[in-house]
Amino acid sequence: MTTAELNPTDEVRRSTGAIRGSDVFGILGAAVAAISLSAWLMTQLEIFQGFLPFVGFAYAFFVVIYGVVTRFDESGMAVRDRLVAVLVHSLAVVLMLALVWVVGFTFFSGFLPLLHLNFFTSDMSSAGPLDPLTRGGILHAIAGTLIMVTIALSISIPLGVATAVYLSEFPGRYSRVIRTVVEAMTALPSIVAGLFIYATVILILGFPRSGFAASLAITVMMLPIIIRSSDVVLRLVPSGLKEASQALGSSRWRTVWHVVLPTARSGLTTAIILGTARGVGETSPVLLTAGITTFFNFNPFSGPMISLPLATYTFVKSPEDNFIARGYGSAAVLMLLVLVLFIVARLIGGRGPGVLSGRQLRRRLQQSRVDDYRFRARELGVAAPSPVAPRPTDPLPRRRRRRVTTGSSS
Amino acid sequence: MRRLRFGAVSLAALVIVGLGATGAPPAEARPTDVGANYATISGIGSTWSANALQQWARNVLSNYHWKVNYSDAGSSAGRQAFALPNGGADFAVSEIPYALKNSDSVDPVPARKFAYMPIVAGGTSFMYNLVIGGKRVTNLRLSGATVSKIFAGAITKWNDPAIAADNPALALPAIQIVPVVRSDGSGTSAQLSAWMRSQFPDIWNGLCQRAGRPTNCGITSNFPALPGFKAQSGSNGVAGYVAQPQYVGSITYVEYSYALNSHFPVVKLLNAAGYYTEPTAGNVAVALLKAQINQDQSSTDYLTQILGGVYTNPDPRTYPLSSYSYMLVPTALEYGFTNDKGLTLAAFADYFLCEGQQQADVLGYSALPINLVQAGLDQVLKIPGGDPTNVNIAKCNNPTFSSDGSNKLATTAPQPQACDKQGPKQCTAGTGGASGTSTSSSSGSGGGGSSGASGGSGTSSGGSGGAGTDGSGPVVDAASDTRPVTVAGKPQKISATFPLATPGLIAAGAIALAVLIAIFGAPAFFRLRPKNRPRAARPARVRRRRDFTIPRIHLRSPRRERAPGPVPTEGP
Amino acid sequence: MTDTFTDVLEAPQPVPPTDDKPRSLKAKADRSDLPFRIGTRTAASGVLAIMLLVGIFLLIQGGQALTADGPIKFLTTQSWEPNSGVFGIAAVILGSIFIALTAIFFAVPLATGTALYISEYAPRQIKQGLITLVDLMAAVPSVVYGLWGLKALQPNILNVSQFIATWFGWIPIFHVDGFDSSDPLSSPTIFTASTFVIGLVVGMMVAPITCSIMREVFTQAPIGEREGALALGATRWGMIRQVVIPFGRGGMIGGTMLGLGRALGETIAVALIVSPIYQIQPQILKSGTSTISALIALRYSESSPFEISALMAAGLALFVLTLIVNFGASLIIARSRSGASSD
Repeated sequence: MTTAELNPTDEVRRSTGAIRGSDVFGILGAAVAAISLSAWLMTQLEIFQGFLPFVGFAYAFFVVIYGVVTRFDESGMAVRDRLVAVLVHSLAVVLMLALVWVVGFTFFSGFLPLLHLNFFTSDMSSAGPLDPLTRGGILHAIAGTLIMVTIALSISIPLGVATAVYLSEFPGRYSRVIRTVVEAMTALPSIVAGLFIYATVILILGFPRSGFAASLAITVMMLPIIIRSSDVVLRLVPSGLKEASQALGSSRWRTVWHVVLPTARSGLTTAIILGTARGVGETSPVLLTAGITTFFNFNPFSGPMISLPLATYTFVKSPEDNFIARGYGSAAVLMLLVLVLFIVARLIGGRGPGVLSGRQLRRRLQQSRVDDYRFRARELGVAAPSPVAPRPTDPLPRRRRRRVTTGSSS
Repeated sequence: MRRLRFGAVSLAALVIVGLGATGAPPAEARPTDVGANYATISGIGSTWSANALQQWARNVLSNYHWKVNYSDAGSSAGRQAFALPNGGADFAVSEIPYALKNSDSVDPVPARKFAYMPIVAGGTSFMYNLVIGGKRVTNLRLSGATVSKIFAGAITKWNDPAIAADNPALALPAIQIVPVVRSDGSGTSAQLSAWMRSQFPDIWNGLCQRAGRPTNCGITSNFPALPGFKAQSGSNGVAGYVAQPQYVGSITYVEYSYALNSHFPVVKLLNAAGYYTEPTAGNVAVALLKAQINQDQSSTDYLTQILGGVYTNPDPRTYPLSSYSYMLVPTALEYGFTNDKGLTLAAFADYFLCEGQQQADVLGYSALPINLVQAGLDQVLKIPGGDPTNVNIAKCNNPTFSSDGSNKLATTAPQPQACDKQGPKQCTAGTGGASGTSTSSSSGSGGGGSSGASGGSGTSSGGSGGAGTDGSGPVVDAASDTRPVTVAGKPQKISATFPLATPGLIAAGAIALAVLIAIFGAPAFFRLRPKNRPRAARPARVRRRRDFTIPRIHLRSPRRERAPGPVPTEGP
Repeated sequence: MTDTFTDVLEAPQPVPPTDDKPRSLKAKADRSDLPFRIGTRTAASGVLAIMLLVGIFLLIQGGQALTADGPIKFLTTQSWEPNSGVFGIAAVILGSIFIALTAIFFAVPLATGTALYISEYAPRQIKQGLITLVDLMAAVPSVVYGLWGLKALQPNILNVSQFIATWFGWIPIFHVDGFDSSDPLSSPTIFTASTFVIGLVVGMMVAPITCSIMREVFTQAPIGEREGALALGATRWGMIRQVVIPFGRGGMIGGTMLGLGRALGETIAVALIVSPIYQIQPQILKSGTSTISALIALRYSESSPFEISALMAAGLALFVLTLIVNFGASLIIARSRSGASSD
């Protein structure tokens, strides 16, 4: 058969897509049938009433009808596959809808108080139960949260990162024990952490209920998470880097400080920010260890201090509409705070150790090109015109510090 | 060497002196020590009087810039925190004193030196949520025994004969009663249990037995929650629960101001004279004329109340569950209390004992009588650091003060209406926070629909409503009215109604489904079409010019030098 | 004479002594290494001490209440009245367990379905967005979930509770005492603050965490085995059933138990909704239950020192329970194929 006898129109281009038209029509048809059947049952036969039963019955009918319709065309195996696909899709939709409902409900209900500037600039000391939203605000709660988290971070970052460094640098039985205990502590109930601080710091040591005690409780909550995430990140640093650094003659301390930590910097930052997000959102440790107040208190060592989640909790328990609206508003502010922390963590973190961002990569390539030129010029014995503008000559040129860095540019 | 030894000796001396200084006992309060600044004070305690205290705290903040923190965590929490050295409580507020007699808990008197001081009077009301014929009931009245049986779990349905006997003009529905009790340690619970225990011991014993407590169990701050009850935390919690429109059939015990703020009605309670009354300021003042106050200055319970006479006061205007609320003030500089804090606390107490009482009515409480105001001001003088300038009682503008020393509020309180007397007639006017709404009769033996028209249908403004009006709506005499019966209305719809009509429902469902399919199926649609579009040509990369050239090294790629394999020949 | 070959081995010559001795290889520690080692070891020991102290202090403080009537009495008494000496955690610990089990019952199918969807079915463009969304949900504070449960979910879920109690009330666990399905005036208050509602709220809180762990495990199922299953003619569900789920079983169980541990310890969402009644509540649709964490949160402020000791003992019981659950989870995760990847 020669090529001339092959008619180009004989060959039909086949589509290699996974979904055919009959599939789509099957789903649509089953959906329409299910909704109609369910609506008929509800409005004409009046077997049930209400939105949720309607959705429930419609879904059940959809699954059955779709299974039957698919069975006409496909084998049993394909029918099972389709039904499982329907199930998985609907489970995902339900969970996503529920989560979106949670967030959307809070923002939607808490939108009104956020429109008033006094919500962010005044505290609740002068707002009564019947006062409108133009009086009172959550400045004291925002300040309380920030103060408590700052103190907690200042304790838990050094402690946590040092512990993670110990776990990754000195493996052995002791560090295995510590790792096991820390992993078990990541699921410590928050109320137990609050109870512990209440029992030791407040009852035994005699500290008053204050912002400092609350930040200690938050530290106990945040530490295991920070340690565990930092440990994971530090263990992922390639050991070749560490060995290279040690082969070049640096001590272990300098290796850690100049090689390991900068390499894992983005991962560490992510770990710390995720721990912070958890600490910001905890209510019960603060409930037990810092009192409830309506005043703006800047001193963490004396006097009760309230935080955002605790303010939400107290507002919502009131039967007054304005207070409940303020509760939604402070919940919305809290979620915005967590969202901002999360986005920051995603932006600066999320890269593996040693993986450079686009800008860092370009700068390193540029530096490598300059170095390469310099080496070749030296080999060839020629003077190298500098690729950059010459600096005015100093009488005492500064000693340029050469750092054995990999991830950071100079 | 000598310098070192000298330094060590002086250091040791300093340490010894320092230890000695801290070992000295706390300074006794000297009346001449007045604080220099108005320091911030923090108090914990009762939710019963919280509405008044928080309003007074706001007033002194805006007028005098004194900072008073008040955390309404409950009376038990207040008493506990006040007793702890680092409980952070500069004052506490509680309805009941420490070591109350006949209480079920030990609650010992603390080591801290303190004094009781009455702050305000008020009535513990029963706020309820009941709907007949689609309309909220606002004129419910109950006898003490009936209320006790409700909270003892003996009466469980609203159409119980005992309730119907008290309310001849209401066609009560056969729905479940849901008593809402306090889940935290509450002085209100203590007041209620004290009243039930002293007035209705049989019913109280029934409760003890159902709750698994010993017979004749003591007065309790933790009211037992039987199955079928609900428990909520704080006065706000119980009032907020009953105030939810869908929780029809619930009833709770809470101070009168909470019902006013929630715009919900309260039960009119039967008193010893056979009249049903609500806890307005005048009725409470009348009732408390029979309260016995401990006058023994040397006793730890000086100024606390004994309410037996209040429960059985024969005055027709009495509201039986009236009581005072107390503040516990420190009388020594210990547990973190300083002269500066004492200055603020004394000034605050002087303020609310005198000027603050003017607002008690409006807030839903009742002002203190002159003897208690005087005694309270004397207690204030014991607070260390306070400024002992005398308060001029004559300028207090207290509604209970009169020129002849009698309680003006009590003498001018209006007598109850004839329809409030126990009998077949029932007033239609609303009570509590719903005093602007009256309830027309709906019982089977009479009553049309229009007799409540004069009450209007608007709700009263929360703060000032219900503060003393006994209502002036018309009276319905259930026995003589022969207008046609209105049957109790349509059954309470429990399921949430779907707002859209049927076609809209189908359309909404179809649209929702289409959206979901579009989201999840759209990429699949794009895979349907075959990819035969030509690729757009990529622009050539621009090479940057440099001042210098770098010789390039080309690595030999092993793959490029692979020998070409045999060409497959096609068959025929 | 035939030739026989015998190798005559000469006696080994003694090695003449040389001055080349085996050298000891001592790593010369830098001067800065000792403080570094000491410093990090101190930090790690401090953290370990804090963690151990939590358990020790709870035990010491709770000891007074535990020894008052004995631990057996403490574990079996239902009512909570320390002032009269009758107190025990039977009701609250069972309440915690029932609520946690209900939460897991709702969370695990949702999390598994979502994790499978993200790893198997989701289009590439939205996959990363979905992952971020689920991780963000795991970071939302629990007070927001409690608020949503109290105000948005509970009023709408009462119908569902009533439906189940009406039609499935013959199953003992769904039966509701005091609810008459033929009574049109029955109030919905009997269904509020039930194990079902609280469990649903806690389940929504736990689902994102479980979903993250499961999704990480599912995406790491080896691509060779997946493609092998598909090449042999399996449908997608067949591939999932044969490859992904067996691979991820450890992660699934570990994620479930992690979620269970979190659900056991959840405080503030429960405290907002609960209406505490201290009796064992076997009917999950009926109102009136409490958990240990809600008990502590609601009662600590008004407690006399003895009652605080009782609360500490209850906290210790909760702590031990979550520890057991979490140790089990980490053991199962560590032993499974998908072991260390489910961090």
